[in-house]
Amino acid sequence: MSRATVELDFFGMEKANSSKSQFQKFIDRRRSFRGIQGAISKMNPELIKSVISSGSTNRSPVDWRKSFSVPSSPKEDRSSPVPSLPILNPALRASSEDSRETAPVTIFYNGTVSVFNVTRDKAESIFKLAVEGSSKNVESTDSLKVANPSRDQRNLLETRNGDLPIARNKSLQRFLEKRKER
Amino acid sequence: MTSQPGMSDVILGCVVPYIDDPKDRDAVSLVCRRWYELDALTRKHITIALCYTTSPDRLRRRFRHLESLKLKGKPRAAMFNLIPEDWGGYVTPWVNEIAENFNCLRSVHFRRMIVKDSDLEVLARSRGKVLQVLKLDKCSGFSTDGLLQVGRMCRQLRTLFLEESSIIEKDGQWLHELAVNNSVLMTLNFYMTDLVKVSFEDLELIARNCRNLASVKISDCEILDLVGFFRAASVLEEFCGGSFNDQPERYTVVSFPPRLCRLGLTYMGKNEMPIVFPFASLLKKLDLLYALLDTEDHCSLIQRCPNLEVLETRNVIGDRGLEVLARSCKRLKRLRIERGADEHGMEDEEGVVSQRGLMALAQGCLELEYLAVYVSDITNASLQYIGTYSKNLCDFRLVLLDREDRITDLPLDNGVRDLLRGCEKLRRFALYLRPGGLTDVGLGYIGQYSPKVRWMLLGYVGGSDAGILEFSKGCPSLQKLEVRGCCFSEHALAASVMQLTSLRYLWVQGYRASKSGCDLFAMARPFWNIELIPARRIVMTDHVGEADVVEDPAHILAYYSLAGPRADFPETVIPLDPLAAGVEL
Repeated sequence: MSRATVELDFFGMEKANSSKSQFQKFIDRRRSFRGIQGAISKMNPELIKSVISSGSTNRSPVDWRKSFSVPSSPKEDRSSPVPSLPILNPALRASSEDSRETAPVTIFYNGTVSVFNVTRDKAESIFKLAVEGSSKNVESTDSLKVANPSRDQRNLLETRNGDLPIARNKSLQRFLEKRKER
Repeated sequence: MTSQPGMSDVILGCVVPYIDDPKDRDAVSLVCRRWYELDALTRKHITIALCYTTSPDRLRRRFRHLESLKLKGKPRAAMFNLIPEDWGGYVTPWVNEIAENFNCLRSVHFRRMIVKDSDLEVLARSRGKVLQVLKLDKCSGFSTDGLLQVGRMCRQLRTLFLEESSIIEKDGQWLHELAVNNSVLMTLNFYMTDLVKVSFEDLELIARNCRNLASVKISDCEILDLVGFFRAASVLEEFCGGSFNDQPERYTVVSFPPRLCRLGLTYMGKNEMPIVFPFASLLKKLDLLYALLDTEDHCSLIQRCPNLEVLETRNVIGDRGLEVLARSCKRLKRLRIERGADEHGMEDEEGVVSQRGLMALAQGCLELEYLAVYVSDITNASLQYIGTYSKNLCDFRLVLLDREDRITDLPLDNGVRDLLRGCEKLRRFALYLRPGGLTDVGLGYIGQYSPKVRWMLLGYVGGSDAGILEFSKGCPSLQKLEVRGCCFSEHALAASVMQLTSLRYLWVQGYRASKSGCDLFAMARPFWNIELIPARRIVMTDHVGEADVVEDPAHILAYYSLAGPRADFPETVIPLDPLAAGVEL
């Protein structure tokens, strides 16, 4: 029995997935791991366990919207809310889907966690909205002359800086590693 | 002496040696053959910015009486682990030429080059009696055996500089040799080298024997073991390194030399910091890059240093620390703020630098000449402040960190324009942002408003080929350009190179490659070497042994050379040969 699943790709395992979804290569492994670490470290461990277990069981008559709210950890200088994680890779795997069958989508946003049971179509619209939302923040008002729009958009979503993380000075790198051992 | 119109040789011979500036000397040498020859006979120092641009032979033929030579090898990106270790930059051919022919050479500085023990032995044997300065600066390939030869045979050394070099450590004998053979040493530096087998007794011996010892920068060595050294080094002005492994209270016995005014103590924490307080008001330079201080500690220390001229630290200083700096350190000339740890809990929560700190800094420290900073947030207004207040700025470098999704005020077109227009003395400029950080219009501003800038690093700027093409219509003085993570095609990069009138060196990583790599041939021309480091997969292991496969995108390196393509390519580097490809020049 197959069912439509929308999965969170914590470790970037789906990098080479064959899904034809337009959100294919959403996020770099390292960035998603780092970002998740950040979000998870601010949350109640019991809460995390319940979210993960609820995502893996096969529930049919479930709450349409189960929302767990966790207070954000205090951050200074935050005039506008910052999403702690962009939406991750929706690896829509199952080959035969019932369009009305729902599956859980878990969204981490600004210190809150929400779980929704949605159909595949609804899930795709949510993702589309999120993509439009985040790309609007980065584009300037005096229109960016973008030669290759789809690639640039993909870049915004992969990591802040595409495939090239900001490189670190060798000596500083060694110091930061040695410091952990002290 | 013939009587002829113009200056006689005697007068010319008296005047020219007073001309030191390389650009002036360059101009002198172009006047006529006589002036060229006089320059060649009297030039004291040469810096070769990339060792492959010429050959040892050519250097000898023109400047036989050289006293001081600085040679650079690997691209600057090597400091960030981006260049293969065996890329090149071997000193051997140069050392051999020096040994054979450069009889007046007293000062040698190799930067980012590969040095072997045999090279050091040849150099020490041939020039040991006259060598006064030896700098192996971010070099690799040698061991303490090579240094042993130096210690034994170069007894006139005033300066031995090894900072950040990767040295294979066999023992600490080399320092002992230096200690027993040398009495004129002024500068000793093996900072950031991981040499741990050196003995503090040898350091103390050096301090006792060398009455002019003014600057010492070492690797990790317990500070309590250095009490004797500090007592002996009576004219010491600069000290960096050491480490704190004992109870904080024990360090009250440490007494620093009276003239000490440049300091950087590794692993210094909040509890050890007070040992600096008694002479903090004398400090001109403070290195906190490798200290363990939080934001509050920075504030507490900085406010006691009204004479500070140079500060290096991590972004844990925070905006609050910058505000204290702006209030307290009116003489500040150079400020470098590096990127601290990313992991949560490793650095102070307050430890972020943004527009708030920059604006305070600009208004408070009017003598600023060098500013390099990693920021977490930025606005156009803060860059405008810098343009308005930092009139002495010669070198400006800004990197926008990638942790925050939202930045207060992007793109930075207008701020960058106003900064460039206001800072009229700017010679070096680096801007490393993210997609959307600077539009093509902004990139055009950089081209238009940087008349004197000679070096630039641009990361994630612009939005299309139009940007770099507009940029390259300007920048009349740009000699060296580094580009990373931009969306420009090979074709646009090549066209830009042809437009930049002063460009002699280009490095690019992360660009839109063509299928064949052939679009780069648009910049093929005589004396222009083009090299590629194709995309690689590197396995990096961190200190706990975890392996991570990293995709390393392709690099382009192109430079003018009188020596033709080089002959020592490793497997990872591919020269582009337009002739072989049948491209007409």
